[in-house]
Amino acid sequence: MQVASLIQDAAKRLLAEGQVELVLGFSEGSLPLRSTPGFVRRPEDAVKLIWDHTCENNLAVYLLKRKSKTAIVAKGCDTRAIVTLIQENQVDRNNLYIIGVPCTGMIDRRKVEALLEGQELMAARVDHDQLTVEGKDLEKTVPLAEVLHDTCKACTCPNPVIYDELAGERVPEKPAGDFNGIEAFEAMMAGERKAYLAEELSRCIRCYACRQACPLCYCEECFVDCSTPQWIGKAARTEDNLLFQAVRVFHLAGRCADCGACERACPVGLKLSLLTRKMVKEVKDLFDYEAGLDLERKPVLTTFAVNDPQAFLVKE
Amino acid sequence: MIIKKSELSSFLDKLTGQYQVLAPVKKGLEFYFQPISSGVQADLSYSNSVTAPKGILFPQSETLFNYDVQGETADMQECLDTGKKVIFGLRPCDAKSLVLLDKVFHGEKYQDPYYLSRRANTVLVGLGCGEPRGTCFCASLDGGPFGTEGLDLLLVDIGDKYVVEVVSEKGASFLTGASLPLAGKDDRAAAAKAKETAFQACTINLEGLKEKMDVNYDDPVWGFLHEKCLGCGACTYSCPTCHCFDILDEVKDSTGCRVRNWDACMFPLFTLHGSGHNPRPTGKERFRQRFMHKFKYFVDNYGAFACVGCGRCILNCPVNIDIRQVLADIKAGGDEK
Amino acid sequence: MNNPYLPIPVRLTKNFIETEDRLIHTFTLQFLKEEDENSFSYMPGQFVEICVFGKGEAPFGIASSPTESGFLKFSVAKVGVVTTALHAMQEGSILGVRGPMGNGSAVEKLKGKNLVIIGGGFAFTTLRSLITYILHPGHRGDFGELTVIYGARNPGLLLYKEELAEWEKRSDINLVCTIDVPCEGWNKRVGFVPTCTKEVAPCSDNTYAIVCGPPVMIKFTTPVLEELGFSPGQVFLSLENKMKCGIGMCGRCNVGGKYVCKDGPVFTKEELDRLPPEY
Repeated sequence: MQVASLIQDAAKRLLAEGQVELVLGFSEGSLPLRSTPGFVRRPEDAVKLIWDHTCENNLAVYLLKRKSKTAIVAKGCDTRAIVTLIQENQVDRNNLYIIGVPCTGMIDRRKVEALLEGQELMAARVDHDQLTVEGKDLEKTVPLAEVLHDTCKACTCPNPVIYDELAGERVPEKPAGDFNGIEAFEAMMAGERKAYLAEELSRCIRCYACRQACPLCYCEECFVDCSTPQWIGKAARTEDNLLFQAVRVFHLAGRCADCGACERACPVGLKLSLLTRKMVKEVKDLFDYEAGLDLERKPVLTTFAVNDPQAFLVKE
Repeated sequence: MIIKKSELSSFLDKLTGQYQVLAPVKKGLEFYFQPISSGVQADLSYSNSVTAPKGILFPQSETLFNYDVQGETADMQECLDTGKKVIFGLRPCDAKSLVLLDKVFHGEKYQDPYYLSRRANTVLVGLGCGEPRGTCFCASLDGGPFGTEGLDLLLVDIGDKYVVEVVSEKGASFLTGASLPLAGKDDRAAAAKAKETAFQACTINLEGLKEKMDVNYDDPVWGFLHEKCLGCGACTYSCPTCHCFDILDEVKDSTGCRVRNWDACMFPLFTLHGSGHNPRPTGKERFRQRFMHKFKYFVDNYGAFACVGCGRCILNCPVNIDIRQVLADIKAGGDEK
Repeated sequence: MNNPYLPIPVRLTKNFIETEDRLIHTFTLQFLKEEDENSFSYMPGQFVEICVFGKGEAPFGIASSPTESGFLKFSVAKVGVVTTALHAMQEGSILGVRGPMGNGSAVEKLKGKNLVIIGGGFAFTTLRSLITYILHPGHRGDFGELTVIYGARNPGLLLYKEELAEWEKRSDINLVCTIDVPCEGWNKRVGFVPTCTKEVAPCSDNTYAIVCGPPVMIKFTTPVLEELGFSPGQVFLSLENKMKCGIGMCGRCNVGGKYVCKDGPVFTKEELDRLPPEY
């Protein structure tokens, strides 16, 4: 059976039986290659739920502060965020029904746009492993794998780590993390790296879409909004933009689910996953810990072991 | 008059000597309005810029004045930008947005000297849209792909050259001395044809919207419209008509400056009182404010919708909230469909 | 072009601890330049943005009256960055003010009427301005009977104690002070402002009520006035919302299509009934 029908059936059943009041899933978007979060409350509306390679949002962000019984359609990375939210007491597992969906990756619209030579995307379709896109007077077919988000390409967690039911067959697990892009970044000299980030972040418009899209950025008062004391300049200046992203990423150390939601939300296309994935890699190298993979394992920064590496505490 | 495409960059080169010239510049996949030092940097093969060129006249961050307060004296230096500028190649929707911003910044009682001095010293050279995007709906908002409202000159692409149409006196005097060749009969016909054939697929029906919004403050529709909104500023910061701002101080010892930055009605802090009370406490009130401001309050105060149909918010919303659908839902009203 | 963002420099001549809990200070400001003093013309109910250089600006209702020349007075509670800095300020320091802003108390409209002025807590500041204005010998004849009902949590939190004592002695003002709960040494009224208003029961004929106080006081006082026969058009309320520019541009203080800074802060209840409750 199609994954979408499995999701719809589950949603319909859960709502009809009164097990949940709300199903968070994906509905058809208003543009080619776009879906939109769908909030379904009536069994008859379950047909609106879809599943395809455009379901890129991390819906776990909508679980915060939700009191009613809720079901959520969640990919592997989304479940990693949910695990961390449960561990941090932001989400009550008993109020949550997870419809896990094995995922083979989501399409990066910017990569598609690059194929279209400046033309507007008019239509797109996926056939097996091929994506065909149409512009006004051109059509191109490329392997799907080429146009997936970088975070999807490097994903090691295509199957949900926690779920109440699974919609679809498990997909093959992938080998350990591919940090290709990060290694190139690490290879830069410090000055080069700074210049690269400054150039990239000079485009930041401080709309905070990255923060708002991130399920784990849930601080009651974000440090950028704090006025007593004011930690950071509010103007969209490169140095403050850098500080904003740096602190945001530090705050996600050992928590980031590596889902790429921040990067996907960015209206100016900043390569934010470079920073988040660098932090994911640091934490993995230092503590052999990857956030959200195991509900039972204590979050890394809330535990201390005598043999924890501490070299980073001192600048050698 | 005409500008041959092959001569565009030398035309712009000449301008850069007398004006600060801002034109669409390609960065990665996107286009941004940026100051250019040489004509070749401008790239008019664009549909529209990621963020609106309003930021040239109303920058995301600007210093209002510097001050030095010592002992008995307070020395204040206002930072008015009176430099001559040309915004070259902006789209008619974005030009129209400036007419709307004029209404805000040129009030009956108060005038904003920062915006107005830039506005007065800027020549707006528009570029008609031969191929509006699928998300463009300017024609539904009293504009059009070749609309001239707010512009000083309009360029019409006719293949290997642009026909330059004079819209305002400012535009006419800008061209004095440029010694551009006159447009021939064929050129003018081609321009007329280009205008005729420009097809805007997307229209929205705004009939009855204002009347509906006059009475729908408590409509249940607001309860679900906002639900998927993340509360970021991607829409407001890319919008050509949004103009909310914050004012704050930046200081070093006895000297400092007062700065204004864009702000957004989608952020909780925007309206939070010092006491902790917030008149727009949740996403619902904030989402409603954004739409009420654009389609009711602005109409009440200034007689126009505060939207020009550029479609940026549609393209930039991380969760695909589509203003066209939102407006249709507002008009339909009632509970979730 | 006149730049509405540039503050007028003033000197802080007095930083006075107004209340027993020390959380409200009254500041007296004097213009540095005579021409600024002469051109600064205001009416009761208007406000200014006070600028603490290096900390920012915040709006405050003017507590002094235009009949008191030579200075401006403000009573300010310590709540945020600007007010905390202000409270700590040395006398003699240089500050800035932008204004006057807002529509004021529609004094012209109040002429020839009896007035009931109702205030609670430290929102009494602009009411002090209005009362002082009305009681001025040059103006007192323009208005009818004057009743003032003023409540605070306890006697220590009443503002302007000296003035209250003077007003109490006068025959052309009926001053009624009340505190929330009984307290040793207080032999006047006890009870919340709405209840007290009910007891005083001012006549609504040819009368306007001007109400200024915390939201909860306003919420319970307006129905009492309605019972007493005040129509929504006879009740004036002063609103507060977060403000930045003060000139109707920055977009945050709006209540519906009206800006508290530019179209307010004083609205009739009739006007507010037509607006959403976003204040």
